[in-house]
Amino acid sequence: MSTDATDPSTEQPTREISLTINGEDVVADVEPRLKLSDFLRDRRGLYGLRIGCEHGVCGACTVSMDDRIVKSCLVYAVQADRSDLVTVEGLADEGDLHPIQRAYHEDHALQCGFCTSGFVMATRELLAETPDPSDEAIEKGLADNICRCTGYQNIYKAVRRAADYTQARADEEGRMGERDQEDDA
Amino acid sequence: MSETGIRPDVGTETGTETDGEVGGDREQFTGTDFERVEDHRILTGRAEYVHDITPENCRHMALLRSMHAHAEIESIDTSAADEHPDCDLVLTGEDVAEQYYPMPCGLAAFEEPPLAVEKVRYAGEPVALIVASDRYVAEDVLEGISVSYETLDAVTDPVAARENETLIHESVGTNVPDGERFDFGDVEDAFEDADHVVEGEYSWGRISGVPLETAGVVATYDPKRDAFDIDCNIQLHTLVDDTVYETLGYPPEKVSLNVPPDVGGSFGTKIAIHRYCCLAAMASQQLEGIPVKFVEDRLENLQGGDMHSTQREYRVRLAFDDDGSVHGLDTWFVDDFGAWPRYPVNQALKPLSVLTGAYDIEDVRYDYEIALTNKTSQTAYRGFGVPPHLYVLEMAMDKAARTLDMDPTEFRLLNMIGPEQMPYRLPSHNVYDSGDFPAALEYIRDHVEDEERAEGGLLDPAVVEEKREEGKYRGVSCTLHIEPGVSGSDWTDRQRSDRDALEAREREEVDELPEHLRGEISRDGTVRALLATDSSGQGHQTIVTQMLADELEVLPSEIEVEYLDSVAAPTEYGSAASRMAVMVSGAATGLGEQLRENCCELAAETWGVGRDAVTYREGGVERLDGGSGGDANSDDDDSGNGGGGDGDESDDRLSLADLADLDTAGGRAHERFTRASYDYEHPATALEEFDEALTGKFPVYPTAAFAANAPIIEVDAATGEVEILKFYSLRDCGTQLNPTIVEGQAHGGIAQGVGAALLEEFDYTDSGQPQAVTLFDYLLPSIDTVPEMDIHHSETPSPFTETGAKGTGEGGMIDAPASIASSLNAALAPLGVHVDRIPATANRLRNRIRDAEAENS
Ligand code: FES
Ligand code: FES
Repeated sequence: MSTDATDPSTEQPTREISLTINGEDVVADVEPRLKLSDFLRDRRGLYGLRIGCEHGVCGACTVSMDDRIVKSCLVYAVQADRSDLVTVEGLADEGDLHPIQRAYHEDHALQCGFCTSGFVMATRELLAETPDPSDEAIEKGLADNICRCTGYQNIYKAVRRAADYTQARADEEGRMGERDQEDDA
Repeated sequence: MSETGIRPDVGTETGTETDGEVGGDREQFTGTDFERVEDHRILTGRAEYVHDITPENCRHMALLRSMHAHAEIESIDTSAADEHPDCDLVLTGEDVAEQYYPMPCGLAAFEEPPLAVEKVRYAGEPVALIVASDRYVAEDVLEGISVSYETLDAVTDPVAARENETLIHESVGTNVPDGERFDFGDVEDAFEDADHVVEGEYSWGRISGVPLETAGVVATYDPKRDAFDIDCNIQLHTLVDDTVYETLGYPPEKVSLNVPPDVGGSFGTKIAIHRYCCLAAMASQQLEGIPVKFVEDRLENLQGGDMHSTQREYRVRLAFDDDGSVHGLDTWFVDDFGAWPRYPVNQALKPLSVLTGAYDIEDVRYDYEIALTNKTSQTAYRGFGVPPHLYVLEMAMDKAARTLDMDPTEFRLLNMIGPEQMPYRLPSHNVYDSGDFPAALEYIRDHVEDEERAEGGLLDPAVVEEKREEGKYRGVSCTLHIEPGVSGSDWTDRQRSDRDALEAREREEVDELPEHLRGEISRDGTVRALLATDSSGQGHQTIVTQMLADELEVLPSEIEVEYLDSVAAPTEYGSAASRMAVMVSGAATGLGEQLRENCCELAAETWGVGRDAVTYREGGVERLDGGSGGDANSDDDDSGNGGGGDGDESDDRLSLADLADLDTAGGRAHERFTRASYDYEHPATALEEFDEALTGKFPVYPTAAFAANAPIIEVDAATGEVEILKFYSLRDCGTQLNPTIVEGQAHGGIAQGVGAALLEEFDYTDSGQPQAVTLFDYLLPSIDTVPEMDIHHSETPSPFTETGAKGTGEGGMIDAPASIASSLNAALAPLGVHVDRIPATANRLRNRIRDAEAENS
């Protein structure tokens, strides 16, 4: 047995990366072996993404990178250099719920919640590509995320509700846009 | 995904309004789909799971694990690790054994070292630990430890393990450390006299809960107090804390286990994470109080995380007559507990609580053996040993119906316990509280007939015929299952008790654990409640919030629900065994009453009037005599509840805020009125019905929730692939405190049942190497494998519980595997295939179908 509390002394090579995280510019020195998931959680305090497997199956670590979702446990932080990242913390203002989050809440689409950030991020991409998804499209869009608690039934409902909310918001913005144009005219 | 809102009137005594506004003008919250209070913090990423806790100057632990299933440890060389500049600490099994104690097991003869000593008994068993500045570095340092092993033969077949050719524990002298045979009634006669006997051998594959969040611990030793603070996601933190403090060699009050409000699922499995708590605590003590964190990674979790669950081999016989009446049941099984018989050894006994399922069978033999093998040890999993029992029972029922050439549903109905038999006492002494089982089974059968047998339905005979020509076999079976709820605690140490002495045990010796709940009214008029149990997604904060809002007649937003750590809380059973709906609702009702009464007493004292002159109403106490001046201020403002403590104290009404103010003002000598705790006694303790079960330490589960299931299944005979086209279920868990949460529990449980029936298994090679060490191998149900569910509800309140609720946390996982297997039998009946092993993977089914085809041709 030995005890010897030290600071890390072995020099590990690092590289500088610069990227945007939830709209904020970030520059950091990272070891090339540091996973993006660990970088975001441990170095940036973005605990909303969760680590459930670290081998790309569960989807709890899903974030958006340059408008495409990625499993951040399968990406090294150095690979995120010069990218634009959005995590669940970037969806709504502090304390508010994004329409997708609101839908998950209202439809009881979360229990322990450990998978939820990943599902919310995957739903966001799904709705961006397919604003009014069929059950098949929902199945396809969320097949890379595992939830062990809900049995998925309420997740279908939440996605449909989120689609309605998103549509309603788009309509609203559309109307306001038209009105602005009329005003301008 | 259709969700019918049907609440059929099956055995229902009272209906439940689902949209509030029941009685008077006050909105009621209990029994409604009140939205969860836990969600907001989780959705916004502000929930703190234990993985998120990293104190400043925290160090990280990594474990070196054995790659051999069975081997002597010849030597361990840690010198390279010791010399590594970034290494803070190295501990081996011997280092730990010198200063600490072994971990308690489920059977008295066993003491498990937290790190292996002399011998490893399963692949993945921890052998040494490292602490370093971060996990990456800690894993680098692990490479500096080299262990030399002398390998031994591995034992992986639980049936063969009983030969004791190779012993897992030499000092114990057997691989079968526990077993018991129960004969209820006259079993020999029943089998001799019956017209028919069917026999079968069945297997239940090694499965588990596999929550999405793995185990995590942050342990801090405080040298000044000589005490430990351990943040962790252990389940039952007030019950199983002995596994941590005894191992550390400290009294309970020196070891505080603190479980965060949010835990990423457990399903029973995290009851067994004490090894990690112990090791991190020891490491922190060795480092003089530097916090040490450990997060289990998924590979460790699947390979050697002490979290596999039930694996059983069964032999079953059923005795019945030509007229279809069943008289005898005989089950024998071996339960593969892996290397150490840990806490959940009583998983082997729990099926006694539902011994004959929903059927009235008099003469029953139940015989089990616990076998030890070179596999990771068993922990609890949703259902706690019941799902395999119900599965083999239904397989035997299917086989018997086939023998008689009887419709399986009619055969089941013929033998079913009737509503007039309630409360129904099983031969094994547990009692079913209420329910009309035949009506429920008929309801689901008729519903499926109407919906699906009709033209265009999934079972439209024309469609079924057409599909069969394509080699696809469709079928459905209707089965009904009991979920035994609200385990007593006293029976759970039966296997550590002298079983012969139990005969002479007196009722007074029975010692049950109540559910503890505390509440306190704050000076701002809000109410703070403190739970003594932990949660992992079930919504206990929501349930307590709803119930206290109704009890105290305030808004739910006025209520905050928090948790007690293991030192502050009394020893409790906790969130397991489908207990919480009943226990926590009983406790919340009692606490509410207590607080209302206290408030009345305080108000009466304040006004100098008798207790009868005041009443509790709308979050405050009112004076019935209209208020006659005294020293209270004289203007007649009718203040509501809430608001600050000052100024709104009127002649005839005191709000909760006023009362809290009065109670805390002026250093009053008495016990505080606005602070109370309540212990809700286990419902069986006051009931004579349970006398025999309690004194004899037979499993005691006083609520019988039930479900009538009808999964419609299609099997592709060419590939063996199974698709569940739709899962119909009528479910009854008594009074529903929150129907949305109830339904969520059903969905999740059924999804886990689908996994157990078709996908999940921890398989091993003959040399003891685990075959499922990633989520690519251990297949969790995903959105595309979980079927559409059509869930119906009825409400038969429990006569035994305070609120009429029955336990409902485990149901789907308990009943779905049996009902899926039975539907597979129905679908494959034309081929003569009978399911005898689950998970019924595509490969296994394909083999069965091929064998049957060869036989038939
Ligand atoms: S943690 Fe990244 S996919 Fe599971
Ligand atoms: S809510 Fe627990 S894993 Fe999805």
